Amino acid sequence: MTTLTRTTTHTRTHTATYLSDVIMGAIGDILGALGINPMTFFTDWDQDQRAIAAWIEEGSLEQVVLECHRPDGTVRPVFEFPITYEPRGEGSANFVNSRAALARYQAKLTSVPSGTRHRLFCTFNGYRTPQPGWSPGTRASTAGLRSTSFGSLAEAPHARANLRFLR
Amino acid sequence: MKRHREIASSPERTAGEAWQLITELLAATLERSSDISRTDVEETMGRAGGVGRMLVSGGHVEADPLVLIAGDLWLEITTVSGDAALTLEENLNPVPGGASAEGWTLHLPAGGPLAKFVKDLAKSEPNISSDEPSANAARAVRETESVLSDTALAEWAKERP
Repeated sequence: MTTLTRTTTHTRTHTATYLSDVIMGAIGDILGALGINPMTFFTDWDQDQRAIAAWIEEGSLEQVVLECHRPDGTVRPVFEFPITYEPRGEGSANFVNSRAALARYQAKLTSVPSGTRHRLFCTFNGYRTPQPGWSPGTRASTAGLRSTSFGSLAEAPHARANLRFLR
Repeated sequence: MKRHREIASSPERTAGEAWQLITELLAATLERSSDISRTDVEETMGRAGGVGRMLVSGGHVEADPLVLIAGDLWLEITTVSGDAALTLEENLNPVPGGASAEGWTLHLPAGGPLAKFVKDLAKSEPNISSDEPSANAARAVRETESVLSDTALAEWAKERP
Protein backbone atom coordinates (compact mmCIF):
# COMPACT_ATOMS: atom_id res chain seq x y z
CA MET A 1 0.00 0.00 0.00
CA THR A 2 1.29 3.46 -0.88
CA THR A 3 0.64 6.35 1.45
CA LEU A 4 0.85 9.87 0.11
CA THR A 5 1.38 12.79 2.42
CA ARG A 6 1.42 16.48 1.77
CA THR A 7 3.39 18.78 4.03
CA THR A 8 2.60 22.44 4.36
CA THR A 9 5.12 24.72 6.01
CA HIS A 10 3.65 27.56 7.99
CA THR A 11 6.04 30.49 7.90
CA ARG A 12 6.09 33.75 9.83
CA THR A 13 5.03 35.40 6.59
CA HIS A 14 1.89 33.27 6.53
CA THR A 15 1.14 34.24 10.13
CA ALA A 16 1.71 37.93 9.38
CA THR A 17 -0.43 37.85 6.23
CA TYR A 18 -3.23 36.03 8.00
CA LEU A 19 -3.37 38.17 11.14
CA SER A 20 -3.04 41.47 9.25
CA ASP A 21 -5.82 40.36 6.90
CA VAL A 22 -8.18 39.40 9.73
CA ILE A 23 -7.43 42.66 11.58
CA MET A 24 -8.03 44.78 8.45
CA GLY A 25 -11.24 42.88 7.75
CA ALA A 26 -12.44 43.36 11.33
CA ILE A 27 -11.70 47.11 11.13
CA GLY A 28 -13.64 47.29 7.85
CA ASP A 29 -16.61 45.50 9.40
CA ILE A 30 -16.50 47.75 12.46
CA LEU A 31 -16.46 50.91 10.30
CA GLY A 32 -19.45 49.50 8.44
CA ALA A 33 -21.31 48.65 11.64
CA LEU A 34 -20.65 52.11 13.08
CA GLY A 35 -21.50 53.91 9.83
CA ILE A 36 -18.12 55.64 9.47
CA ASN A 37 -17.02 56.82 6.00
CA PRO A 38 -14.38 54.31 4.85
CA MET A 39 -12.77 56.30 2.00
CA THR A 40 -9.38 56.91 3.62
CA PHE A 41 -9.36 53.33 4.86
CA PHE A 42 -9.89 52.18 1.25
CA THR A 43 -7.19 54.47 -0.08
CA ASP A 44 -4.52 53.37 2.37
CA TRP A 45 -5.51 49.71 2.57
CA ASP A 46 -2.56 48.04 0.83
CA GLN A 47 0.00 50.32 2.45
CA ASP A 48 -1.47 49.78 5.91
CA GLN A 49 -1.78 46.03 5.56
CA ARG A 50 1.80 45.74 4.31
CA ALA A 51 3.03 47.74 7.30
CA ILE A 52 1.03 45.74 9.86
CA ALA A 53 2.16 42.46 8.29
CA ALA A 54 5.81 43.55 8.24
CA TRP A 55 5.68 44.54 11.91
CA ILE A 56 3.99 41.27 12.91
CA GLU A 57 6.57 39.31 10.95
CA GLU A 58 9.45 41.02 12.73
CA GLY A 59 7.64 40.74 16.09
CA SER A 60 7.66 44.46 16.86
CA LEU A 61 3.93 45.21 16.71
CA GLU A 62 2.32 45.47 20.14
CA GLN A 63 -1.17 46.42 19.01
CA VAL A 64 -3.24 48.07 16.30
CA VAL A 65 -5.67 50.69 17.59
CA LEU A 66 -8.80 52.00 15.89
CA GLU A 67 -10.03 55.31 17.33
CA CYS A 68 -13.39 56.88 16.45
CA HIS A 69 -13.19 60.68 16.60
CA ARG A 70 -16.61 62.27 16.96
CA PRO A 71 -17.49 65.76 15.73
CA ASP A 72 -17.86 66.96 19.35
CA GLY A 73 -14.19 66.16 19.98
CA THR A 74 -14.71 63.03 22.06
CA VAL A 75 -13.03 59.78 21.06
CA ARG A 76 -15.12 56.65 21.44
CA PRO A 77 -15.40 53.82 20.92
CA VAL A 78 -11.82 52.59 20.69
CA PHE A 79 -10.85 49.12 19.47
CA GLU A 80 -7.48 47.61 20.35
CA PHE A 81 -5.98 44.58 18.62
CA PRO A 82 -3.08 43.38 20.83
CA ILE A 83 -0.67 40.84 19.33
CA THR A 84 0.96 38.06 21.35
CA TYR A 85 3.85 36.12 19.87
CA GLU A 86 4.97 32.50 19.87
CA PRO A 87 8.45 32.96 18.38
CA ARG A 88 9.19 29.28 17.79
CA GLY A 89 5.88 28.61 16.12
CA GLU A 90 4.43 26.78 19.10
CA GLY A 91 1.16 28.72 18.85
CA SER A 92 -1.96 27.46 17.15
CA ALA A 93 -1.30 24.57 14.79
CA ASN A 94 -3.86 26.05 12.43
CA PHE A 95 -5.03 29.36 11.08
CA VAL A 96 -8.30 30.05 12.87
CA ASN A 97 -10.42 33.12 13.45
CA SER A 98 -13.48 34.23 15.37
CA ARG A 99 -15.17 36.23 12.62
CA ALA A 100 -18.54 34.62 13.33
CA ALA A 101 -18.37 35.66 16.98
CA LEU A 102 -17.24 39.13 15.93
CA ALA A 103 -20.25 39.43 13.62
CA ARG A 104 -22.59 38.76 16.56
CA TYR A 105 -20.66 41.29 18.62
CA GLN A 106 -20.83 43.94 15.87
CA ALA A 107 -24.58 43.61 15.68
CA LYS A 108 -24.72 45.12 19.16
CA LEU A 109 -22.65 48.18 18.21
CA THR A 110 -24.57 51.41 17.96
CA SER A 111 -23.78 53.79 15.14
CA VAL A 112 -21.80 56.96 15.81
CA PRO A 113 -22.80 60.53 14.88
CA SER A 114 -22.46 61.59 11.25
CA GLY A 115 -19.04 63.11 10.61
CA THR A 116 -17.22 60.74 12.96
CA ARG A 117 -13.80 59.87 11.53
CA HIS A 118 -11.46 57.02 12.25
CA ARG A 119 -7.74 57.01 13.02
CA LEU A 120 -5.40 54.02 13.09
CA PHE A 121 -2.45 53.76 15.48
CA CYS A 122 0.14 51.09 16.03
CA THR A 123 2.14 50.70 19.23
CA PHE A 124 5.35 48.70 19.48
CA ASN A 125 7.35 46.43 21.76
CA GLY A 126 10.63 48.07 20.80
CA TYR A 127 12.44 49.02 17.63
CA ARG A 128 10.41 48.62 14.43
CA THR A 129 11.33 49.01 10.80
CA PRO A 130 9.88 52.26 9.41
CA GLN A 131 7.04 51.73 6.97
CA PRO A 132 5.72 54.11 4.26
CA GLY A 133 2.74 56.25 5.24
CA TRP A 134 3.24 55.86 8.99
CA SER A 135 4.60 58.56 11.25
CA PRO A 136 4.73 59.13 15.03
CA GLY A 137 1.44 60.21 16.62
CA THR A 138 -0.27 60.51 19.96
CA ARG A 139 -3.16 58.35 20.98
CA ALA A 140 -6.26 59.86 22.49
CA SER A 141 -6.78 59.30 26.19
CA THR A 142 -8.89 56.30 27.07
CA ALA A 143 -9.48 57.52 30.64
CA GLY A 144 -13.09 57.03 31.61
CA LEU A 145 -13.78 54.43 28.92
CA ARG A 146 -14.97 51.00 30.00
CA SER A 147 -12.90 48.14 28.62
CA THR A 148 -14.36 44.84 27.45
CA SER A 149 -12.19 41.97 26.22
CA PHE A 150 -13.46 40.08 23.20
CA GLY A 151 -10.70 37.49 23.50
CA SER A 152 -8.89 35.92 20.57
CA LEU A 153 -9.81 37.26 17.13
CA ALA A 154 -7.36 35.14 15.13
CA GLU A 155 -4.69 32.56 15.85
CA ALA A 156 -1.75 31.32 13.79
CA PRO A 157 1.40 29.30 14.45
CA HIS A 158 3.63 32.25 15.35
CA ALA A 159 1.23 34.79 16.85
CA ARG A 160 -2.30 35.63 17.92
CA ALA A 161 -4.45 38.74 17.56
CA ASN A 162 -6.87 39.64 20.33
CA LEU A 163 -9.54 42.32 20.51
CA ARG A 164 -10.40 44.77 23.25
CA PHE A 165 -13.27 47.24 23.09
CA LEU A 166 -13.34 50.53 25.00
CA ARG A 167 -16.50 52.65 25.18
CA MET B 1 -24.05 28.03 -17.92
CA LYS B 2 -23.24 28.04 -14.23
CA ARG B 3 -19.58 27.95 -13.17
CA HIS B 4 -17.75 28.23 -9.88
CA ARG B 5 -14.18 29.23 -9.09
CA GLU B 6 -12.36 29.38 -5.76
CA ILE B 7 -9.60 31.85 -4.99
CA ALA B 8 -7.20 31.47 -2.05
CA SER B 9 -6.99 34.45 0.28
CA SER B 10 -4.98 34.74 3.50
CA PRO B 11 -2.58 33.33 4.57
CA GLU B 12 -1.76 32.40 0.96
CA ARG B 13 -2.15 36.01 -0.18
CA THR B 14 -3.55 39.31 1.09
CA ALA B 15 -7.08 40.52 0.35
CA GLY B 16 -5.65 43.05 -2.08
CA GLU B 17 -3.77 40.35 -3.97
CA ALA B 18 -6.86 38.13 -4.01
CA TRP B 19 -8.96 40.99 -5.41
CA GLN B 20 -6.35 41.58 -8.11
CA LEU B 21 -6.51 37.89 -9.05
CA ILE B 22 -10.31 38.06 -9.24
CA THR B 23 -9.96 41.14 -11.45
CA GLU B 24 -7.60 39.28 -13.79
CA LEU B 25 -9.95 36.29 -13.94
CA LEU B 26 -12.92 38.49 -14.86
CA ALA B 27 -10.92 40.54 -17.37
CA ALA B 28 -9.53 37.45 -19.09
CA THR B 29 -13.01 35.90 -19.23
CA LEU B 30 -14.83 38.98 -20.51
CA GLU B 31 -12.23 40.28 -22.96
CA ARG B 32 -13.16 37.37 -25.24
CA SER B 33 -16.37 39.25 -25.98
CA SER B 34 -16.18 41.74 -28.85
CA ASP B 35 -18.52 44.06 -26.91
CA ILE B 36 -16.57 44.25 -23.64
CA SER B 37 -13.32 46.09 -23.09
CA ARG B 38 -10.72 44.58 -20.79
CA THR B 39 -9.77 48.07 -19.68
CA ASP B 40 -13.36 48.84 -18.64
CA VAL B 41 -13.46 45.67 -16.54
CA GLU B 42 -10.13 46.45 -14.89
CA GLU B 43 -11.12 50.07 -14.18
CA THR B 44 -14.45 49.07 -12.67
CA MET B 45 -12.80 46.44 -10.51
CA GLY B 46 -10.16 48.97 -9.49
CA ARG B 47 -12.83 51.42 -8.30
CA ALA B 48 -14.57 48.54 -6.49
CA GLY B 49 -11.31 47.45 -4.87
CA GLY B 50 -11.87 49.15 -1.52
CA VAL B 51 -15.16 47.37 -0.90
CA GLY B 52 -13.75 44.24 -2.53
CA ARG B 53 -10.82 44.09 -0.12
CA MET B 54 -13.22 44.54 2.81
CA LEU B 55 -15.46 41.73 1.55
CA VAL B 56 -12.53 39.35 1.08
CA SER B 57 -10.67 40.10 4.31
CA GLY B 58 -13.89 40.04 6.33
CA GLY B 59 -14.55 36.52 5.09
CA HIS B 60 -17.83 37.60 3.47
CA VAL B 61 -17.00 36.06 0.08
CA GLU B 62 -16.40 32.64 1.63
CA ALA B 63 -20.08 32.05 2.28
CA ASP B 64 -21.74 34.42 -0.20
CA PRO B 65 -20.15 34.39 -3.64
CA LEU B 66 -19.40 37.21 -6.00
CA VAL B 67 -21.63 36.43 -8.99
CA LEU B 68 -20.72 37.51 -12.51
CA ILE B 69 -23.60 37.45 -14.98
CA ALA B 70 -22.55 38.01 -18.57
CA GLY B 71 -24.85 36.73 -21.29
CA ASP B 72 -25.37 33.05 -20.64
CA LEU B 73 -22.49 32.90 -18.17
CA TRP B 74 -23.26 32.72 -14.45
CA LEU B 75 -19.94 32.62 -12.63
CA GLU B 76 -19.75 32.31 -8.85
CA ILE B 77 -16.47 33.18 -7.16
CA THR B 78 -15.76 32.37 -3.53
CA THR B 79 -12.61 32.83 -1.51
CA VAL B 80 -10.94 30.31 0.78
CA SER B 81 -8.91 31.37 3.82
CA GLY B 82 -7.09 29.66 6.68
CA ASP B 83 -5.33 26.32 6.30
CA ALA B 84 -7.42 25.38 3.27
CA ALA B 85 -6.03 28.37 1.36
CA LEU B 86 -2.53 26.92 1.52
CA THR B 87 -3.50 23.71 -0.25
CA LEU B 88 -6.24 24.98 -2.56
CA GLU B 89 -5.80 24.01 -6.21
CA GLU B 90 -6.97 27.06 -8.13
CA ASN B 91 -8.13 27.22 -11.70
CA LEU B 92 -7.24 30.70 -12.89
CA ASN B 93 -7.89 30.10 -16.59
CA PRO B 94 -10.49 32.27 -18.33
CA VAL B 95 -13.98 30.88 -17.76
CA PRO B 96 -15.74 29.61 -20.91
CA GLY B 97 -18.89 31.48 -21.86
CA GLY B 98 -17.67 35.06 -21.84
CA ALA B 99 -17.25 35.39 -25.59
CA SER B 100 -20.96 35.73 -26.35
CA ALA B 101 -21.65 38.29 -23.62
CA GLU B 102 -22.81 41.74 -24.68
CA GLY B 103 -22.61 43.16 -21.17
CA TRP B 104 -21.76 42.15 -17.65
CA THR B 105 -22.81 42.66 -14.05
CA LEU B 106 -20.91 41.66 -10.94
CA HIS B 107 -23.20 41.06 -7.98
CA LEU B 108 -21.55 41.64 -4.60
CA PRO B 109 -22.85 40.17 -1.34
CA ALA B 110 -24.73 43.00 0.33
CA GLY B 111 -25.58 41.61 3.74
CA GLY B 112 -23.92 42.25 7.08
CA PRO B 113 -21.99 45.32 8.19
CA LEU B 114 -20.74 46.22 4.70
CA ALA B 115 -24.24 46.47 3.18
CA LYS B 116 -24.24 50.26 2.93
CA PHE B 117 -20.75 50.37 1.37
CA VAL B 118 -21.77 47.79 -1.25
CA LYS B 119 -25.02 49.61 -2.05
CA ASP B 120 -23.26 52.98 -2.32
CA LEU B 121 -20.74 51.44 -4.71
CA ALA B 122 -23.48 49.87 -6.82
CA LYS B 123 -25.17 53.27 -7.19
CA SER B 124 -22.08 54.74 -8.83
CA GLU B 125 -20.93 51.72 -10.86
CA PRO B 126 -23.27 50.47 -13.62
CA ASN B 127 -21.53 47.09 -13.79
CA ILE B 128 -21.75 46.46 -10.04
CA SER B 129 -24.96 45.35 -8.36
CA SER B 130 -25.98 44.87 -4.74
CA ASP B 131 -29.10 42.94 -5.75
CA GLU B 132 -29.50 39.20 -5.46
CA PRO B 133 -28.40 37.87 -8.86
CA SER B 134 -31.46 35.71 -9.40
CA ALA B 135 -33.79 38.65 -8.87
CA ASN B 136 -31.74 40.76 -11.28
CA ALA B 137 -31.72 38.07 -13.95
CA ALA B 138 -35.46 37.64 -13.59
CA ARG B 139 -35.92 41.39 -14.02
CA ALA B 140 -33.85 41.34 -17.19
CA VAL B 141 -36.08 38.63 -18.58
CA ARG B 142 -39.19 40.57 -17.65
CA GLU B 143 -37.81 43.69 -19.34
CA THR B 144 -37.12 41.69 -22.50
CA GLU B 145 -40.64 40.32 -22.43
CA SER B 146 -41.98 43.81 -21.96
CA VAL B 147 -40.07 45.11 -24.97
CA LEU B 148 -41.37 42.23 -27.08
CA SER B 149 -44.92 42.87 -25.94
CA ASP B 150 -44.67 46.57 -26.77
CA THR B 151 -43.32 45.73 -30.22
CA ALA B 152 -46.08 43.21 -30.82
CA LEU B 153 -48.68 45.75 -29.75
CA ALA B 154 -47.25 48.34 -32.15
CA GLU B 155 -47.30 45.85 -34.99
CA TRP B 156 -50.85 44.90 -34.10
CA ALA B 157 -51.86 48.57 -34.07
CA LYS B 158 -50.36 49.15 -37.54
CA GLU B 159 -52.22 46.17 -38.94
CA ARG B 160 -55.59 47.40 -37.68
CA PRO B 161 -57.80 48.74 -40.47
